[in-house]
Amino acid sequence: MTNIVALNTQIHRDLRVQAGASARFGDARHFVPVVVNEFAFLAVHYPIFFAKDGETGAFYCGAMLGIDEGENLFLTEGKGFETYRPLNMQRGPFFTAGSDIAIDLDDPRIDENGVALFVEDGQPSDYLKSIMGLFRDLRPGLDQTKVFIETLMKLKLIEPIDINLAFDDGTSRSLEGLYTVNQDVLKKLADAKIVELFHRGYLQAIYLMIASRKQVSVLAQKKNARLAG
Amino acid sequence: MVQPIQNIVIVGGGTAGWLTAGVIAARHQGRMKSGFTVTLIESPDIKIIGVGEGTWPTLRGTLEKMGVSETDLFRHCDAAFKQGARFDRWTTGAQDDGYYHPLMLPQGFHQVNLVPHWLEKGGGSFCDTVTPQGALCDDGLAPKMITTPEYQAVANYAYHLDAGKFAPFLQKHCTERLGVRHVLADVQTVNRAENGDIQSLGLKQGGEVAGDLFVDCSGFSSLLLGKTLRVAFKDCSDVLFCDTALAVQVPYASPDDAMASHTISTAHSAGWTWDIGLPTRRGVGYVYSSRHISEEAATEELMRYIGPQGKGLTPRKIPIRGGYRETFWKNNCVAVGLAAGFLEPLESSAIVLVELSAKLISEQMPANREVMEIVSARFNEVSHYRWGRIIDFLKLHYVLTKRPEKFWRDNTDPASVPDRLKNLLHLWKYQSPWFLDEFDRLEEVFPAASYQYVLYGMGFRTEIDPHDNEFSQSLATQYMHENMAMTRKLRSQLPRNRDLLRKIHEYGLQPI
Repeated sequence: MTNIVALNTQIHRDLRVQAGASARFGDARHFVPVVVNEFAFLAVHYPIFFAKDGETGAFYCGAMLGIDEGENLFLTEGKGFETYRPLNMQRGPFFTAGSDIAIDLDDPRIDENGVALFVEDGQPSDYLKSIMGLFRDLRPGLDQTKVFIETLMKLKLIEPIDINLAFDDGTSRSLEGLYTVNQDVLKKLADAKIVELFHRGYLQAIYLMIASRKQVSVLAQKKNARLAG
Repeated sequence: MVQPIQNIVIVGGGTAGWLTAGVIAARHQGRMKSGFTVTLIESPDIKIIGVGEGTWPTLRGTLEKMGVSETDLFRHCDAAFKQGARFDRWTTGAQDDGYYHPLMLPQGFHQVNLVPHWLEKGGGSFCDTVTPQGALCDDGLAPKMITTPEYQAVANYAYHLDAGKFAPFLQKHCTERLGVRHVLADVQTVNRAENGDIQSLGLKQGGEVAGDLFVDCSGFSSLLLGKTLRVAFKDCSDVLFCDTALAVQVPYASPDDAMASHTISTAHSAGWTWDIGLPTRRGVGYVYSSRHISEEAATEELMRYIGPQGKGLTPRKIPIRGGYRETFWKNNCVAVGLAAGFLEPLESSAIVLVELSAKLISEQMPANREVMEIVSARFNEVSHYRWGRIIDFLKLHYVLTKRPEKFWRDNTDPASVPDRLKNLLHLWKYQSPWFLDEFDRLEEVFPAASYQYVLYGMGFRTEIDPHDNEFSQSLATQYMHENMAMTRKLRSQLPRNRDLLRKIHEYGLQPI
């Protein structure tokens, strides 16, 4: 269940939140929605693909953290995330409601051993300030990502990709429902379109997505090591 | 001098006219730069006859090639999914008498014929043994998911749609995207050349439209092929007896009422009813033989079938005449749609025939007048074959019945069964139809799989030799197991039919 309410200095004065990553806080996810303005941080660790929302069929961008459902190969229990933690995971139990910050009071991260949200005088703690800063990236990032995807769709720059992985233990996986940038179409785009994509920052995002594909084999190696172990 | 064919004139603005215009214009888009034109003349007064609201899966490919968005089709034509047809009470007339003719082929259809293996196992439902689709229809599930791209299927499908909305929808696409010229006028005179060719059409509102090839999509009136070129109509009422339809649009009790993703075709005393679920209403109609039942009695049977939801509704009577033109393409005129012929909508053959004709005209578009006779001869041969095969296939639904009413007994009279079908029924006692038969030589409207579903759905039995099954036993067992696994998977995976349609209206389907 969720119980999302706007964060209130008075009512939630003593609330504490576990900021670290853990499977019991929902960090054991193999694919997490990401926004275009964090691509540079993501691409050095994770493959970034397009995928479709199961409810609406709409495309979104996601970072692949594992191979199987519920598997996060970058999460070590007790140690947290060893690499960049995507904004959608960093935000923990927080949401935005208009320009306000909201919190899910039923989230398991709300815990008296956690970090305080407010300091003595009722001002936001450094942790809460970092969450507020995070939403300054995440909120516009969601809109920018939507427009980025719409632009690429119009130019027919998105194509499905089949990934088949074979592991040393004899098992194999074929990953379905993933989409990436169609490089053939990209190469044939008119100069004016390329310049437009460049000025909007999309060309960089496109190349980060293309480059991030090499992380698939890194993930596969991690997975292989786990299967062997 | 060689006269090039580059001005195509289509007469009639119904489904046939606009589909033909769209298929030709999309295929010859490149030539439009060098003077190729497609013009459609539509009478401002004549009302469109919405032939059938059921279609065949070919329509997906046809619309995709025309550049139509499937999401738009769902949103603007009140379209819904059709995964096949269920035939109720056709065999014995009992309450539990029913079978499916689904749109998916039997598993492994091109590798192995499952019929003799299914017979060896002792029967059960043929459909459920070889395809998941009957179970999907029973469960009221959609044939795809919101994440499945436009025109792609998880389970093969066609559409149910509002024909009254489909023609204007195609018109908009053809005129705005494909460069089809639209002339709203009545054809008053047909101007002919010495060789009998049509040169131009004089319009009542003034002016003339000249052309190199004329496509007659004028409906039952068959203005060019029938009236002008005097090609006779070949009646088939000696084989198919139904000559009248009573049609009515039935509202849902609530907007969330369950909605079948298949056509429900129910046999009655002197014909059958169609029942087609669109998102906003059901289309229901009784197709019957007026020689076997009065209009009053037929109306009563129809209203009894509809039940309380039919209260206050008055059916519209439509006389139907089964048959087709003796020639479909004569001189420089070819007929498509009702102008070419009509058959009772038992298997939704009307629109698929339009598509196949339009495709053939478009792909074989004669370069010039000199070679037109070669193409038209080919077109006539293929079309005759197709109409004949469809009549055979429709008749197949009637000949296997055990129903006692006179209409049904008359239908089993060998004198009313075409020779070819008679021969096949004889052959099928000893070997089951399969795609390596004489079927499926051409682009068959109804492949051998369709014959399998109807024959074995209606309890027909082919003698088998278990030893003859040995050589394909392991393959057959494998496909039957795959079918069970696929059925389980799809039943748990696919959304409810109405839920998916609602989502398509809200979010749309992705093009990839």
